[in-house]
Amino acid sequence: MLLSSLLLVPFLGTLVVLLWPGGPSPQRLRLISIAILALQLLLSLLALLRFDGSQSSLQLVELHRWLPGIGLDYSLGVDGLSMPLVLINAALTLVSAVITRDIDKRPRIYFAMLLMISGAVNGAFLAQNLLLFFLFYELELIPLWLLISVWGGANRAYAATKFLIFTAISGMLILGAFLGLALLTGSVDFSLTPVLSERLSMGGQLLLLGALLIGFGIKIPLVPLHNWLPDAHTQASTPVSVLLAGVLLKLGTYGLLRFGLGLFPEAWARLAPGLAIWAAISVLYGSLAAIAQTDMKRMVAYSSVGHMGYVLLAAAANTPVSLLGAVFQMVSHGLISALLFLLVGIVYRKTGTRDLDVLRGLLNPEKGLPFTGSLMIVGVMASAGLPGMAGFISEFLVFRGSINVFPLATLLSMVGSGLTAVYFLLLVNRAFFGRLAITPPCGDAQIDSRLDVALAPVAPRETLPAIALVTGVVGLGLLPFGLSRISDATTTAMSLVFPGVS
Amino acid sequence: MHRIPRLSAALPLPLQLTWLIPIYGFSGMVLSLPWATGWIKRNGPRPAAYLNLLVTLLAVLHGSVVIRMVSELGPQHLEFSWFQATDLNLRIGFDLSLTNLAALELVTTMSLVCQLFALGYLDKEWSLARFYALVGFFEGAMSGVVLSSNLFVSYFLLEMLTLSTYLLVGFWYAQPLVVTAARDAFLTKRVGDVLLLMGVVGLSAKAGSLEFTDLYSWAAHARESGAIGPLGACLLGLGLIAGPMGKCAQFPMHLWLDEAMEGPNPASILRNSVVVTCGAIVLLKLMPVLVLSPLAIQVLLAVGSISAIGGALVALAQVDLKRAFSYSTTSYLGLVFIAIALQKPGIALLFLFAHGLARALQFMSVGSIIATTTCQDLTELGGLGSRMPATALAFLVGSAGLVGLLPLGCFWCYGLIVHTLLPASPGFVAVFLITNLLTAANVVRVFRSVFLGPVMPKTRRAPEVIWLMALPMVSLAVIVLLLPWIMQRIDPVPGIASFPLPVGLGVAASGLAGVLVGCLLPQDQFWSRSSQVSLRVLQDLLAYDFYTPVIYRATIVRLVAGLARATRWFDLTVVKGLVDGIGRLSLVTAEGLKLSVSGQLQTYVLTLVLAIVLLLGVLQWARIGI
Repeated sequence: MLLSSLLLVPFLGTLVVLLWPGGPSPQRLRLISIAILALQLLLSLLALLRFDGSQSSLQLVELHRWLPGIGLDYSLGVDGLSMPLVLINAALTLVSAVITRDIDKRPRIYFAMLLMISGAVNGAFLAQNLLLFFLFYELELIPLWLLISVWGGANRAYAATKFLIFTAISGMLILGAFLGLALLTGSVDFSLTPVLSERLSMGGQLLLLGALLIGFGIKIPLVPLHNWLPDAHTQASTPVSVLLAGVLLKLGTYGLLRFGLGLFPEAWARLAPGLAIWAAISVLYGSLAAIAQTDMKRMVAYSSVGHMGYVLLAAAANTPVSLLGAVFQMVSHGLISALLFLLVGIVYRKTGTRDLDVLRGLLNPEKGLPFTGSLMIVGVMASAGLPGMAGFISEFLVFRGSINVFPLATLLSMVGSGLTAVYFLLLVNRAFFGRLAITPPCGDAQIDSRLDVALAPVAPRETLPAIALVTGVVGLGLLPFGLSRISDATTTAMSLVFPGVS
Repeated sequence: MHRIPRLSAALPLPLQLTWLIPIYGFSGMVLSLPWATGWIKRNGPRPAAYLNLLVTLLAVLHGSVVIRMVSELGPQHLEFSWFQATDLNLRIGFDLSLTNLAALELVTTMSLVCQLFALGYLDKEWSLARFYALVGFFEGAMSGVVLSSNLFVSYFLLEMLTLSTYLLVGFWYAQPLVVTAARDAFLTKRVGDVLLLMGVVGLSAKAGSLEFTDLYSWAAHARESGAIGPLGACLLGLGLIAGPMGKCAQFPMHLWLDEAMEGPNPASILRNSVVVTCGAIVLLKLMPVLVLSPLAIQVLLAVGSISAIGGALVALAQVDLKRAFSYSTTSYLGLVFIAIALQKPGIALLFLFAHGLARALQFMSVGSIIATTTCQDLTELGGLGSRMPATALAFLVGSAGLVGLLPLGCFWCYGLIVHTLLPASPGFVAVFLITNLLTAANVVRVFRSVFLGPVMPKTRRAPEVIWLMALPMVSLAVIVLLLPWIMQRIDPVPGIASFPLPVGLGVAASGLAGVLVGCLLPQDQFWSRSSQVSLRVLQDLLAYDFYTPVIYRATIVRLVAGLARATRWFDLTVVKGLVDGIGRLSLVTAEGLKLSVSGQLQTYVLTLVLAIVLLLGVLQWARIGI
């Protein structure tokens, strides 16, 4: 029942928020949602306590027949791959709810959608039936579309529609692949059993895997399927960006590992060299595109494209260390990108802009945002893979696991890791160093010195979620064995099914 | 994290707790945070400084206790498991050998002295607590690097050094020059670090363990056993030397050290003396692995020679007091690189030791001058000798400790290395002697310009510095004077004087020649560019550091920026254009189709019939096809 409660709590919470009597104020709705999400986090932690990391098999399994005629079972389970992601989901949705402020437009629907997304994502991570996974995968789509298109920025209609179309195509391809699997194997059993593919010819496997790759590739997103992401991020509000980058992108990589690699190991091994190159291209493309951005949020969004590429590289290499690195990278990217979006959100709220050509000297101790700036430096350093923080150990594991299998792609990805330092340093240098001003530099030092900006101070409660995330990032960086204990057995077992081509 | 039982339980407690020494530095940082972040505002930032001084003192004392014990019990090894998953085992290991511990004492003592100096130098600095937090971080990372017995830990901490260098250089982040300096410091070091990471990852995947001793035994057999091909060995070697090259500011990655002089002087003291030493020590530990790649050794020798002579030449043309010596640091580390590449680790270590202390003293006197005159432009300084006698003396002692002329630290190192290299590689002997000559000329030039000559407006009212700065400076001067004696203690066999008299005379002659050149160099107050074209070209070439920044901008910066712009263009035009185009196409077709809805029944019937015919036709064709 524990896993079902991870679905029940957010879904019932959705209803609670929608039906709470007597027109509650946005503040109260926020507190209710926070309470529900805190409960969800507690339950996730309880699941973690019950979880035995030394076993690679599914745990806490729940199985009920639902619609046996079409092969849809209510089948939940958790292993070392999904456990960390469930935790990240609980933690980051809570963070999004906490940092949601000043919602004046339809707060009821807003918080209900937030809860619904969290429940759906939990469902997708826990589902052990292909159709059930698909249901949850689609279920998260509409609320997110609403969150962008109702509470987004000026150009939100464009961004939200783009997001909807891209993700809908992704869903269709994934459903198509699942149905195709049933069609080609002639069974209506959609339970997640990797042996199914043995009955398939290589051609059929490649076809279905190709559909999955493009489907999940849109979600991750991989270049050139990434076009929806920067727009969605720039138009989404800060909490939605946190959720999108921190949690929803992980659905793509999770799907790739669970279904792409899990269901079609032979075809995967066949495609792996190409996938590794694709990953390297994605990494380099995302990093280079990020360098040329002047909108802070767009820059962070492109960095996501780059950093999710590491997961594909690790999955392609398919060695025990690289798969563990993939899990680490998913978790650390979730924490770090959430942190960065959150801090960019604070900067945006205080200054009214995210333009790197305009913002200068925000570290100013009196009138600027010194503490936010310091946290930002920590965040970008973590993202650039500085040791002692989560990004480093993740990248190290990915690279260490992949270099023997795909040396060239790994080295190129490491160049991408170096480029991360370039664009984030540009960000910090432009926006936070220098003399405080919110105008484009004019080259005249005298005019510059007369500019007077005084930003509203940042209250401690605004940075509190960021401090929590920084703690997580540093904690994972210094004490990574906690996560490896959860995931090690599973990822090792996954890679042993078909060890990487060497 | 659980202790590995490789450690004997009978080991005395201070030895077992040696891992605390790097932690002292880091804890200094943590202790400073309440003041650095402004949570505590009531009593100013001083308590953070005192706390840091306290923990550093603790580190020094703990280190000296450990040295005493190790000299009795012999070298020890501490190891902890940090991260273990599948076939990957990352451990934290510390080698407690006398060499490592001597380096540790150098690091912690220098940190202590610099922190004391900084109390005076940054007396009125607003962000004093932030400075001390960063220095604590710096010290912790450096102490770890010198003790580390493991490439992974070394890499881990080297990167932390990169971060803290960035933050220390960017300490006065509101100034435009500081902004670019911090950026360049981070990026050049980061390039070295990423290349080093490639080496570390490759080595980890090939050799398994990253423990230095395991790597040595792996490297000894790697070529015969075919564990690594010639190309792989080459790339590995080049990757591994890139990290130390960046850390030690060697050509062509030396750009940052000169710009880093925009940071506060106490941090410059540390950077020029011990940080570069850390980089060289990592290289020293990597040396047995580098033997795999003859190319890497050749590159090391070339880089060392170019840095040694090039750095010394560029230093001669600088008008900035700090930069004149930071290039000299590059030059001396080049000498150390040559010594390491030629497999003379003992001499390299002695060199590092002597250089670190003397250079720190030199930079302290420079700091005193800057603190008193708020000026670091050689053209605006002069006549300070009688006004700041202690500083002048410290400058002289520090410089004498660096130049191979008087029998202070570096003289003996020069003598030893010249003696060992003379039979086999006289070319490198020439490099050493030329560097010595140029360095001597440089210090004499700067001494004349700062301490002699007419008094300038900015040096008219220049009292000696306060005791907080004078005390560490004078104590360090005494240490530098006693250095030969200490070196004799460290290296009793064969002794630092184990070279014949003619070699010593040769070294002294090169130093003396340098002093003469320095005395004869024209002392032009305005440092106007020469009217002779050839001389002017040379002057500019050196003053602008062989145009390295320009070359960087024209090559790698332009390449990355160009690629970024191209990607952005591609992203906007092709990818986004395609997506938007498809969207527009569907809208346009819909608009067009809308017009066909006329409401006439005939049109609908016609459409229907056409569709049915088409459908049937396709089906028929498909059946024939099958």
